[in-house]
Amino acid sequence: MLNKALSWLAGLVCLVVVASDCRGQAAAGGSVLPLIADVAAFDTPNDAGGSITLTWARSRSIPESAIYKAYIAEANEGPYYLASEIAGGANLQSEEPETFGYGDEAQDAHFLHIAEYAGREGVISLQNDKTYYVRLELHSGNISTRNPVLTASAEGNYFNWTKLNNIVLGALLSFLILGFISLARRRDLYIRRIGGLEALDEALGRATEMGKPVLFIHGLRDMSQISTIAAVNILGRVARRTAEYDAALRVVAPDPVVMSVSQETVQASYFEAGRPDAFNPDHVFVAGTEQFSYAAATEGIMVRERPAAHIMMGYFYAESLLLAETGSTTGAIQIAGTDAFTQLPFFVTTCDYTLMGEELYAASAYLSREPKLLGSLKGQDAGKAIIIAAIVLGALLATVDIPFLTQIFTPH
Amino acid sequence: MIFLSRTLPVIVALCFGVLGIGIYYVPHAAAQNIERELALWLRIVFAFSYLLGLYSLLNLHWQRIRQRVEGWGYSAMVYAGFGLMMLFVIYNDGQGPFAPQAEGTAAENGYQWLFEYVQVACSSTMFSILAFFIASAAYRTFRARTPEAALLLVAAIVVMLGRVPIGAYISDYVPAAADWLLNVPNLAAKRGILLGVSLGAIATSLRIIFGIERSYLGGGDE
Amino acid sequence: MIQWLMNIDRRIIFVFVFLGVALPLLANVFLPIRPTRDVIAVYDQLEKVAQDEGVVLLSFSYGASTEPEMQPMARAILRHCFSRNIKVVAVCLWPEAPGLAQQVLEEIGDEFGKTYGVDYAFLGFKPGNFAVVLNMGQDFRDAFPQDNWGTPLEDLALMRDVRTLRDFDFVFDLAAGDSIEFWWIPYGQEKYGFPFAGGCTAVMAPDLFPFLQSGQMVGLLGGLAGAAEYETLVGRQDKATAGMSAQSMAHLIIVIFIIFGNMAFFLSRRR
Repeated sequence: MLNKALSWLAGLVCLVVVASDCRGQAAAGGSVLPLIADVAAFDTPNDAGGSITLTWARSRSIPESAIYKAYIAEANEGPYYLASEIAGGANLQSEEPETFGYGDEAQDAHFLHIAEYAGREGVISLQNDKTYYVRLELHSGNISTRNPVLTASAEGNYFNWTKLNNIVLGALLSFLILGFISLARRRDLYIRRIGGLEALDEALGRATEMGKPVLFIHGLRDMSQISTIAAVNILGRVARRTAEYDAALRVVAPDPVVMSVSQETVQASYFEAGRPDAFNPDHVFVAGTEQFSYAAATEGIMVRERPAAHIMMGYFYAESLLLAETGSTTGAIQIAGTDAFTQLPFFVTTCDYTLMGEELYAASAYLSREPKLLGSLKGQDAGKAIIIAAIVLGALLATVDIPFLTQIFTPH
Repeated sequence: MIFLSRTLPVIVALCFGVLGIGIYYVPHAAAQNIERELALWLRIVFAFSYLLGLYSLLNLHWQRIRQRVEGWGYSAMVYAGFGLMMLFVIYNDGQGPFAPQAEGTAAENGYQWLFEYVQVACSSTMFSILAFFIASAAYRTFRARTPEAALLLVAAIVVMLGRVPIGAYISDYVPAAADWLLNVPNLAAKRGILLGVSLGAIATSLRIIFGIERSYLGGGDE
Repeated sequence: MIQWLMNIDRRIIFVFVFLGVALPLLANVFLPIRPTRDVIAVYDQLEKVAQDEGVVLLSFSYGASTEPEMQPMARAILRHCFSRNIKVVAVCLWPEAPGLAQQVLEEIGDEFGKTYGVDYAFLGFKPGNFAVVLNMGQDFRDAFPQDNWGTPLEDLALMRDVRTLRDFDFVFDLAAGDSIEFWWIPYGQEKYGFPFAGGCTAVMAPDLFPFLQSGQMVGLLGGLAGAAEYETLVGRQDKATAGMSAQSMAHLIIVIFIIFGNMAFFLSRRR
């Protein structure tokens, strides 16, 4: 009988010891830390690997001075090394919405990414496809609680879901642009009149009457840049008109690749106009390869040869004002087009007409009426309409505390 | 020949264009390794483009000298300047061209002297001409012919004075007004243009990747 | 007279601008400079790096033509770094930059008695524009295996713990062209998320304001004015501060001519 009672007592004592081990130890004052709820360990999403993530529910009853500590080991029996520690109220999931979303539940959970830990021989980075054993503990003063060990392994991901909005919007814009190009091949699309381009005919006519050449000036960027491609498109149309009007054309380029593309473009235009004999490759040349040597050489041509019209198309830097101001002293009509935002004021004040920003891209479409250019222009307009609608609607919604549209457009 | 000069570049543009876009969305280490390789190849191509640029420049000026075109003396100056700089590069303070660049200030190193007292001096002088041209352009064009021109004129004066210490001397409101003009209406316009230009860049890039735009190959669209 | 005021010969304007710039420089006039928010932000960021005993990457992306505007900026930043014992790694992304970078590093390094390889390192120029930035973010030693004089990076004490751009506590680009907007932000800061700021020519500064507002740039030094403000914060007035008096006078002269021109314009319209 006594043995039975003693056995029951021993069992009860063991139960109490085990329970206290799981639930935490009672302090002298008698408070106990609860087990950390909803702990999960998994591969960190949207990365190249080498990282695992711990998440757990937020407890509003723990003191602010409490600390969460994450331990990691390569085997269940250890040794466990401290991987990271955070304060009790830190690392809420709402701080990383690209991974955990924008929902209210993100305010009620914590997270921790573990990519390395300080082992016995120094800092050790996590390896992919290897099982790690992680354990989360909560410490507050002299008391602590320890959750059961979990396993997780890191791996490289094949898609970055945080960029989902980017790919969807990019795909939408791409389909719009390609769709409009396809549409433009079947029907004529309307573009509004661009004043600077109408003046182009006037300038070319003026040059023909005066018997003076037209000077076409490329911007400083190379052939891979959008503005240079647009400038070459416009050059093609200008060359065709000068061939038809029998006006002389001089083209200055800042580098040999742009020069050779310009030569071929001008030659093709002269052929199309039925004036192959009028093409002179020496009239398309490299004026200089450095910014200011290019500007100085071009200014010299302006002052010596006195062209009747200066057409400056492309991306310009500081030399824009040098060219435009010198050109204005010669009395030539000046038409400029650039997407260089900082140089626009200089062109606007010194040139007769200025194509601003994407009007440069629109110009080649307007002059050529080519379906690919018209279509992409219309696609861009559609894209702009979507962006404007999103800005207006998003601002209104955000004002009434509905941030859903803002979240869609937030880059991660 | 048509295949090499027209078709192959378009295929290469398609493949690498799609690859470059795809890599942006794939975080896997394999994709990152491809990106690293592509970046290294790009750097090699850039380095060769410097060589190409040098050859083109020298060839261009050589043709001008050979044909005695008007102003061929300036082309001879290009060769003289290039030759002089190359002389100091090869000499390299007595260490030869295969040793790292010799240390030393302009007083000790001929190459550094030429750079500091010729290249920097000439380039800075050309850049400084802008100050004079801005003055004459501003005087000539900032006339209050219309209400919009008057607004532009006032904004220009406020920003010009607000960005230098003298504006704060005149009144504390001048730099504050200049900051507001730069951070609100100016920034709005900048963003609008940036959005438009970015869409244009996307459209042109798509045309290049899918072979719709081939003007970078030169000539017509055949 | 009115017609003359409306059509003043530009050479007269040039003479006034010349005198307006030259006289304050010769007279050594220093106007008090008031630092602005974006410049103070850069200063505060470097102070934070100093407290953490961090390493800064300084990128030189300008050439000979912008030396008068950018070199004072480089000097002011380096003076701040060296005075607070911040380690500096310098790279060049423009081909004309190495001569200028080397000059300013040696000048300011000697001024503060800094040791090459321990307190600062100069890695030279690499072609490739944005590809170099991308490479530096992936593997710094891929992009720059050696310094400017052929010493492997492993042999430089301050480079031992640097593997990628993320290992720098702060990156600062001195830009006279596209390097901030088209290289560092899209291929560096956006991908790797390090603290980034820049200095640029005054004409380019408005181009970069969107990145300040979006938080992709911590701060910005715009032109000679930005350099002068930074010199004030660092407590060492130099060429930038001297240049501000000249710039102030030049701006004032332009404004006066504009006012004259408009006065004549309105008088002529009345007639």
